[in-house]
Amino acid sequence: MFDLIIRNFSQRKLRTGLTIFGIALGIFAVIVMGGMSEHFSTMVERSISLTADKIRVLPEVGLFGASLNESKASDVKRIPGVSDAYGMLQSPLDPESLGFGGDMVIGIPPDKMGSVLKDTKLTEGRSLAAGDNYRTVLGSSVAREFNLRTGDEIEIRSKKPGRAKSITNIRNFTVVGVMEYTGSFFDGAVIIPLDTAQKFYNRGDTVSFVLAVPDPDTDTEELARRIELNVEKVKTFSPAELRKQIEQSLIIFTLITLSAAVLAAIIGSLSVMNTMLMSVSERTKEFGLMKALGADTRDIIFMTMSEAALMGILGGIIGVAGGGAVVYYLNGYLASRGTVLFSITPRLIVISIVFATALGVISGTYPAYRAAKMSPMEALRYE
Amino acid sequence: MGEPVLRVRNLSKTYMQGKIPVHALNDVSFDVEKGEFLSIVGPSGSGKSTLLSMIGLLDKPTSGGVFIDSVEVTKAREGDVPKLRREKIGFVFQHFNLIPTLTAFENVDVAMRFARVPKSERKKRAVELLTQMGLADRMNHKPSELSGGEQQRTAIARALSNHPAIILADEPTGEVDTKTRDMIVKLLRELSEEGHTILVVTHDTAVAQQTGRIITMRDGMIESDKRVIIDNDIEPASTHS
Repeated sequence: MFDLIIRNFSQRKLRTGLTIFGIALGIFAVIVMGGMSEHFSTMVERSISLTADKIRVLPEVGLFGASLNESKASDVKRIPGVSDAYGMLQSPLDPESLGFGGDMVIGIPPDKMGSVLKDTKLTEGRSLAAGDNYRTVLGSSVAREFNLRTGDEIEIRSKKPGRAKSITNIRNFTVVGVMEYTGSFFDGAVIIPLDTAQKFYNRGDTVSFVLAVPDPDTDTEELARRIELNVEKVKTFSPAELRKQIEQSLIIFTLITLSAAVLAAIIGSLSVMNTMLMSVSERTKEFGLMKALGADTRDIIFMTMSEAALMGILGGIIGVAGGGAVVYYLNGYLASRGTVLFSITPRLIVISIVFATALGVISGTYPAYRAAKMSPMEALRYE
Repeated sequence: MGEPVLRVRNLSKTYMQGKIPVHALNDVSFDVEKGEFLSIVGPSGSGKSTLLSMIGLLDKPTSGGVFIDSVEVTKAREGDVPKLRREKIGFVFQHFNLIPTLTAFENVDVAMRFARVPKSERKKRAVELLTQMGLADRMNHKPSELSGGEQQRTAIARALSNHPAIILADEPTGEVDTKTRDMIVKLLRELSEEGHTILVVTHDTAVAQQTGRIITMRDGMIESDKRVIIDNDIEPASTHS
């Protein structure tokens, strides 16, 4: 039966081609949008898992520029259940940028490197050590973006927070190590010693936030509340809260993906249905004849639905291939600029193809029903 | 002769045209023996096409029944109708009704697919039938590349493919020239001589005259039923009015 389906299919090449193209476009959107959302969620997932064991302590008024005195770290550390606490300073590598998604300079006390990066390995060089001043360990994306290796220098500029212009400091930092790819925000990190960062950015003794490492077997939720109660003017984010908050902001990406998918579904299925209805009514006589020749209802339904499903599958494959190619080149381009935006996971590919096929099948149902219900009498009279 | 291949018993069909009932068929009964070559003639509106649709299971009668090989096909359940059509009936239409996208060979082949005939057997049968129809070298042509006569012969080969009990031909010569017409009628007669039962609906008296039996319809009833002797002597078989 399949040769018949293929033949019908190839009869109206332009129309079938346009329909397939429509579905392919929809699936293309699903792949690109989905790839973006997948990338963000894996990145967030990896980032959270790297910091999952720590409580973030932030200044109470969390507006830009509000900062925390480093002394808070020792306040936090004194609270029972906290095994260690240290401040970190964070600032965009490009001071002109808004600091979203771009590379970040992160000041970390050198002796806490191991605690922060956990099991992240270095592909070359060494970690920061006490006494390293203008030295840095780079995330893999930063190293690739600026094509830097151990021994090279990276220029870091600073600017007073809140001021539009006026670069206050420019300084070359020597790369002492490069981290492996983690898939988290560490890939875009330029890690320098905390005291150097404070000096360089004119932040005095302040830090962006304090990380509190709980004792093993401590209830982090409870501990986070205890920190908030005992240390003045701070608020805390336990790993669970952090995850919740990040997931909330990820909903937007999910929504974008979903609406792209829904839009693709509507447009794609309407065009399949339109094409199939046209093709069925053009072939009224043919279906009537087939019934007169003794075709079973299921033969006709099978033929019509398969045609629609085939359009869906082909559209899906083309969409995935097209989307994949675009994402591949776009990622290649973006990687050279230090960031990656899309990840096409096997899950996304399977979902897209299944989705496209389901679209074809669902929108083929009504035309198939019409074809199967056709009375051979009527159909044969129809000239 | 044994049991008739086709028995039509008190067949009636009433359509509603708005609120006025139209009696397209009114209590029609007749028998057809195996191997008969029979024509149904009559003016348009006389009910001959309706009768053919009932026999071909394309339409349901209001009352009465059609028996093919002693099976009351008009009582068949909806789901069994396709199987009966495949096994009992071969259609030949006025407009040939070949599938335009398929070649002559594939048009014959497709009818056997619906009957789930294995591929090798289908191929053998299609080649055999098309060769018998004199189309051995036209098999791989599409209907648009075939003459009217060739298309109708393809349609006849298709009708024969599933070894039906009866071949129903609706105006099979309606769209061909007289030379082709004579060739098709001769072909149908040869098939009946081989044992196929063939029922032709026509209003071409020249065609009817060459069949073995002529049923004349008028106003949904059988006006006359005559056997035709080879030298065109007409002898009444039975008469209904």
